[in-house]
Amino acid sequence: MTRADYCAVLFATLLLPYLYINQWTGDEAGISAAIMNGSETTEISLAHDHTLEINGALGTSIIKIEDGKIRFVASPCLGKQCIHSGWLEHAGEFAACLPNRISVAVLGEEPRFDSINF
Amino acid sequence: MKPRWLSLLLIATLGLTACSEAPPQVHKAKLFTLGTLVDVSVLHPNEATAQQAVKIVEDELAIINSQWHAWRDSPLTLINQQLAQGKTVTINSVSHHFLQQAQTLAANSNQLFNPAIGSLVSLWGFHHDDRPDGAPPVKEKIAAALKQAPSMANITLTETTLASNNPAVQFDFGAFGKGYAIDRAVEQLKLAGIENAIVNAGGDLRAIGAKGDRPWRIGVRHPIEAGVIASIETNGDESVFTSGNYERFFDFDGKRYHHIINPRSGYPANDAISVTVIHNNAATADAAATALFIAGETEWPQIAKQMGIDEVMLIGNDLTIHMTPKMAQRIQLEIDDAQVNIIAGDS
Repeated sequence: MTRADYCAVLFATLLLPYLYINQWTGDEAGISAAIMNGSETTEISLAHDHTLEINGALGTSIIKIEDGKIRFVASPCLGKQCIHSGWLEHAGEFAACLPNRISVAVLGEEPRFDSINF
Repeated sequence: MKPRWLSLLLIATLGLTACSEAPPQVHKAKLFTLGTLVDVSVLHPNEATAQQAVKIVEDELAIINSQWHAWRDSPLTLINQQLAQGKTVTINSVSHHFLQQAQTLAANSNQLFNPAIGSLVSLWGFHHDDRPDGAPPVKEKIAAALKQAPSMANITLTETTLASNNPAVQFDFGAFGKGYAIDRAVEQLKLAGIENAIVNAGGDLRAIGAKGDRPWRIGVRHPIEAGVIASIETNGDESVFTSGNYERFFDFDGKRYHHIINPRSGYPANDAISVTVIHNNAATADAAATALFIAGETEWPQIAKQMGIDEVMLIGNDLTIHMTPKMAQRIQLEIDDAQVNIIAGDS
């Protein structure tokens, strides 16, 4: 083997574990959520518990993040269907307060489904 | 180290890098329109083209929404005023096509899909974007509205005119307009050269093409629990629509009243929890999901047959899943211990 061969072997040996880690294992970092307010979308991490107050078209919606989950806990709408939607945890799940024009969608790695019917 | 080991190591490395090739890019956008949240997914290599496709959808849905809105000032509310006065209404070819399709679907559903009961829907308080909890209408008012028996059979259509022999006909196309709008938006996408996309309006969708080398995968949300109850892989160009008692509702005195009004009783239909329909036309799927929900557990197979729908899943009040044989071939249940009833026959 020449010196170039040894360099190639060293390169490949170092590259292999890097590729296994980065291409074949899942991203264990906490998933995030996209919060849409009107036409503006903000992505937030679900890794830390906290509460958000978001001013929408009608008033303030309160969104809680806890244990990697997210939900509406208060909203100025009358029907409160955003709150009835409960906790959202899995990628692709979402809830919306249509009157206040605020929606929450859980993001993650490649979701199982391309779209949800209901 | 032997040279062959060197070769194997390099091949393994190259193999891994090949595995890391990025999947096809799906451009996603969410829009507040049609009174709901619309989710648009476009598979296209060009970002600008995908963004233009989203704009096409947004514009088309906005046109339909403004034309056929049942309680904000719109050409439809003007039509309703004129019909209530017994006048003949002048219509254009687009409105003629819309009304004719709705009339045919209503007839095929034995008028269970009945967009002429706008007054009844309004009486129940669902002509608001956000219906507050409060008392349901008194039974005398419901009985009075039922007695007038408005239906699509009361109207006469020509290419340019619309007339009704029943002044109680008041249109509300809530069980049809969304599907029609999705159809229009998808047709515009196709004209713009988009071959792979999903337009999902408030949970009801039409998917065209595929996600690269695999079909689009659709999850059907469980009607009473978190998560999905079933999944479907779409085939080419298909619509998946669900009507359920959990979509729009209000609570009063511990009882829930939802928005799908049975035109025969005047009250919210209560013989199913949800109905899911697959059909290539979104407007047909929309009307059928409503009609079959109202038809309920005993009558739905007959109505489905009349409407030309052969892929149906109805979830009964006891959570039994009823399906046509063709739906059973298409759908993958995602729950354990489901009670499933596949109906006999080819419908």
